Amino acid sequence: MAEIVLRDLVKRFGPIAAVAGVNLRIEDGEFLIMVGPSGCGKTTTLNMISGLETPTSGEIRIGDRVVNDLEPGERGLGMVFQDLALFPHMTVFENIAFGLRVKKTDGAEVERRVKAAAEAMHIGALIDKRPSECSGGEAQRVALARTIVNDPSVFLMDEPLSSLDAKLRLDMRTELKHLHHRLRATFVYVTHDQAEAMTMADRIVVMQGGRIEQVGAPLEIYRRPATRFVAGFFGIPTMNFLEGEVAAGGEGDGPAFRSTRVEQPLSASTPTDVAGRAAPLGVRAEHVRLVPSDDGGGRVTLTEPLGDETLVFFEYGGAAPLVAKVDPDSPLGPGDPVAFEFDREWCHLFDAEGGARLN
Amino acid sequence: MADARSRFRHHRRAWVRHAILLAWTFFIVFPLYWMVSTSFKGAGEWVSWPPHWYPHDFTIHNYRQIFTFSALGEELSRDATDQAFSIWKALGDSLLICSVASFIALVLGVFLAYAISRFAVGGSKFRHIILTIRMVPPIVIAIPILMYYAIMIPFTTEVLFGTRIILFDTYFGLGALYVATTLPFVIWMMLSFIDEVPYTLEHAARMMGAGRMYTLRRVVLPLVASGLVVTYLFVFILNWSEFLLALTLTHPEVTTLPVLLNKFQSASEGRLYGPQAAIGTVITIPVVILGVLIQKHLIKGFSFGMIRK
Repeated sequence: MAEIVLRDLVKRFGPIAAVAGVNLRIEDGEFLIMVGPSGCGKTTTLNMISGLETPTSGEIRIGDRVVNDLEPGERGLGMVFQDLALFPHMTVFENIAFGLRVKKTDGAEVERRVKAAAEAMHIGALIDKRPSECSGGEAQRVALARTIVNDPSVFLMDEPLSSLDAKLRLDMRTELKHLHHRLRATFVYVTHDQAEAMTMADRIVVMQGGRIEQVGAPLEIYRRPATRFVAGFFGIPTMNFLEGEVAAGGEGDGPAFRSTRVEQPLSASTPTDVAGRAAPLGVRAEHVRLVPSDDGGGRVTLTEPLGDETLVFFEYGGAAPLVAKVDPDSPLGPGDPVAFEFDREWCHLFDAEGGARLN
Repeated sequence: MADARSRFRHHRRAWVRHAILLAWTFFIVFPLYWMVSTSFKGAGEWVSWPPHWYPHDFTIHNYRQIFTFSALGEELSRDATDQAFSIWKALGDSLLICSVASFIALVLGVFLAYAISRFAVGGSKFRHIILTIRMVPPIVIAIPILMYYAIMIPFTTEVLFGTRIILFDTYFGLGALYVATTLPFVIWMMLSFIDEVPYTLEHAARMMGAGRMYTLRRVVLPLVASGLVVTYLFVFILNWSEFLLALTLTHPEVTTLPVLLNKFQSASEGRLYGPQAAIGTVITIPVVILGVLIQKHLIKGFSFGMIRK
């Protein structure tokens, strides 16, 4: 059906390489999400797949065809845009019918397919309205219906949920996932929202500076980030980072991470060649254990109760405060002295220079 | 207490505002009124002193004079011009040249504006350069154009093709010049409308297989319809009231209304203000009718920002 292969894809705008050599295989029927900060090249990559941008070099393959020189409309793709791009002067019906009209589909057939697509997106009642009369969520459904009606094998989506309010966005996430299950089409979805990526994707592509940092399943990316950038990008709150170096285990108990204020034993599986190197350590809030203690070296500055858990920010004498996730019933409050410890199996070590993962 | 005072101040401000606006309206409308009222005055009242603020001796004589088909009758010819002018020919010429030239300028301008808006044709500053064409006063180009129309082009075509092509005093000659002189305005105005049509609308259409022309026809043009109407009217009025080029480049075959207006003079009485006022009134009417017909578009077009997401 519609496997997409990107080979050595490059896009330059003048001297700037927006996409600097991307290689990626998107499986048929996969929900793939490209995520990264703005300017990372994710939208440009999507636009090259769609045909709205022409690659400077490299090859795009959809199914068994190289599509570099094909017009967007000839690639068999459907796209949902960030601003939805509904035609304001047409009714919802004509919006959905647009693609069919371009192909000069017979009138009765248009009627039937538009109705079916509208029903599928639960907007049957809106068919005679203008896009401006639709709410944000309704407009979203119209945009999806307009794409579905053309029956594409690949759906491209460029931050389609960014204009919705928070509650609606959560609902639409669920709905998009259902839609993907139902259609069994390939979804390529671009967002800067890591939570959106985590919740919907089969696989996530993390991009930065025009390059792919990591490709993997959501949990894999969360648990074993390939670079310091990925580690910092995923997860709320942001991962704690400590600057320091790795000391070889000499006292009979494995390697350890040392900074001026912290000595943290590391997992026995830590590669031995890391020893002696400067390596920032990253640890997520849920892997930081706090206990009230007068001589632990930490002092709580702030707590943020989230309901199911509480975030505790504490100073330890390092550059930036650390954060830990604790039980919501924890008695800790600002000013309380604490001792802290990291779960040694969940300590991530990164290269001080390039940021690549070391353990 | 404070409430009453603020209401008083609010009222006073409204009064002042309305007084200023009324005074301004009077200032603007008075010449129009004077033109219309003069068109109904007899010859003795045109320049009487003290002025007759309204026609004391109401007459449609001036209109009869300008609308006369044939040679002037006995009772008219005395105070009419030395030549017998009728407005019908000029009205037809003006309508033909202005409507066609404006339409051609509009069609060309829309495509040019589209190209400049979407592909930055001519570089990012080009859109500002376009208007500099209009910085040249028409008088500067009128005479050189006359040289070309009357001498250079006829001479060159005779040498090259054996037939003399004369653009002087032709519909095509004047019309082509109107297209050229109004094109910058069309481009400039349409740019602001087309810029407002989000490019993603066209991307969406392209993704669904629509070609460039189909997208223009079904998506872009309908969205700038108000802009098209407003631009057409604006350009039409420019051409409709253009005097200098028409005066220089036509005579005696093609006559536009502004030129005709100027011809109403007589050797014995100088300017014939009555017929001139009547022509002025007649010239104004089509523009007013056009304006009323497209009122809805005018309001939309002049308020821009018409595409709400």
